[in-house]
Amino acid sequence: MSDPISRLGGSTARRLSRLGALARFGFGALRSLGTLPAAGRAVALRVTLNQIRFTAADAVGLVVLLSGILSFLVISQAVRELGQLGATDFIGTLIVVAIVRELGPLITALTVAGRSGTAIAAELATNRVLGEVRALEAMGIDPRQYLVLPRFVGSLVSVFVLLVVFDLVAVGAGFAAARFNGMVAGRYFEIVLQSLALKDVWLTVAKAVTFGLIVGLVPAYFGLAVRGAPTEIPVATSRATVTSIVGIFLCSALFVVIA
Amino acid sequence: MTPPLAIEGVPLGGGGRRDAVPLTVAVLAHEAVALLGDEESGLGRLGGYALGLEPPPAGRVTVFDTIIADLPERERLAVRRRVGYLPAGDGLLQNLSLRDNVALPLRFGSEASPREIEGRVNVMLVAARVTGVAGLRPAQATEEERRRAAFARALAFDPALLILEQPFNGLTARTSAELLELARGGETAEGARRTILITGQELPPGLHHRVERVFRVTRAGALELEAV
Repeated sequence: MSDPISRLGGSTARRLSRLGALARFGFGALRSLGTLPAAGRAVALRVTLNQIRFTAADAVGLVVLLSGILSFLVISQAVRELGQLGATDFIGTLIVVAIVRELGPLITALTVAGRSGTAIAAELATNRVLGEVRALEAMGIDPRQYLVLPRFVGSLVSVFVLLVVFDLVAVGAGFAAARFNGMVAGRYFEIVLQSLALKDVWLTVAKAVTFGLIVGLVPAYFGLAVRGAPTEIPVATSRATVTSIVGIFLCSALFVVIA
Repeated sequence: MTPPLAIEGVPLGGGGRRDAVPLTVAVLAHEAVALLGDEESGLGRLGGYALGLEPPPAGRVTVFDTIIADLPERERLAVRRRVGYLPAGDGLLQNLSLRDNVALPLRFGSEASPREIEGRVNVMLVAARVTGVAGLRPAQATEEERRRAAFARALAFDPALLILEQPFNGLTARTSAELLELARGGETAEGARRTILITGQELPPGLHHRVERVFRVTRAGALELEAV
């Protein structure tokens, strides 16, 4: 029987090994772009646009709803509580730091992981089980070019677009909440703009890219890792979702540490 | 002259066990060879071994004197494009129309222009007689239409070698004969018929005389030549 330290070491080594495999998978997918012929690029672009439609365009309503409700609730409470202390200026910090910089990327990425990440993992796992991935390889087609790259790029673009939508709606809903609780319109935008720094912008962009990478790559990796049994599809989907969520939270914490 | 496809000492029978009788057979240029055996014979894995999709338990399979699995990735994909492959169950992509399925290998595996690709796809659809249903997805087409489209896709690159897994299951003898003739290709660019390996459980009646050799693989993996 192995001791707890060896077990912990073994488990850590396995996780690091999986992280390495994931990185190789991502680099391989990106590198495959270089060998994509012109006609293949047109097909990959079409698949990418489909992915963006499903991941971003079809999810705008959900993101608007989540962002609007979250921002309205937080700012309504804040205006009331901070107003009693005469500290309404902190609403700007609350909007920028808590919602735009932290919760916005987190909730957007979790929404995409839950909505589209699961779909990507299930779709690719089904492709594998139906023998379609094997057929692609046998025809001399790199499955990463046709299956992975468009979903990867589509997720990257979608997370970025949805994050912009989330932040704009959050600021708008915050304004509505502030007005509803008696704050003057000009004052709201003045304190929000005062709290906004260049660092917040690049941090948000960096998070969008990082979370987009996670949401695009992790489900594709787990989906294609299925070996052939249909019963593996829900397992792969579940693993992909859990790993994506853990990855998003870990990276979010890492951003707090480094920024 | 090196045979386009050579299987040397590969144990197939008994579920691919190492102790099964090793199979050795070469498919010579321009001949069609059928390897028949039941589901337990392990013939279903032969295409995967040949194309380097999975390693054989022992022995080796060479295609154009090359072990595809040993090649670097880009070359591996390039050699596979020289082989037409029809997997068991057709392997068509369910989210694409039959036309797009036929076009896919050309779009991702050649530098041809969209117009040239469309032209080649139209030729193949006409040859396989699926033009009328080319816009359907596999789930909307009949089994025969799907198989015809899968043949068209396997022939898209005009390959010199074809590997067909259970190509005639569920088809009438007449359709099978027609598709085999399409696969053989009459005259290819080199002025000769294609080299074909067919694996499956049975050949439909009337097809035995259309292939050069028919072997039956026993459960133990031994090879028996059948009269054609």
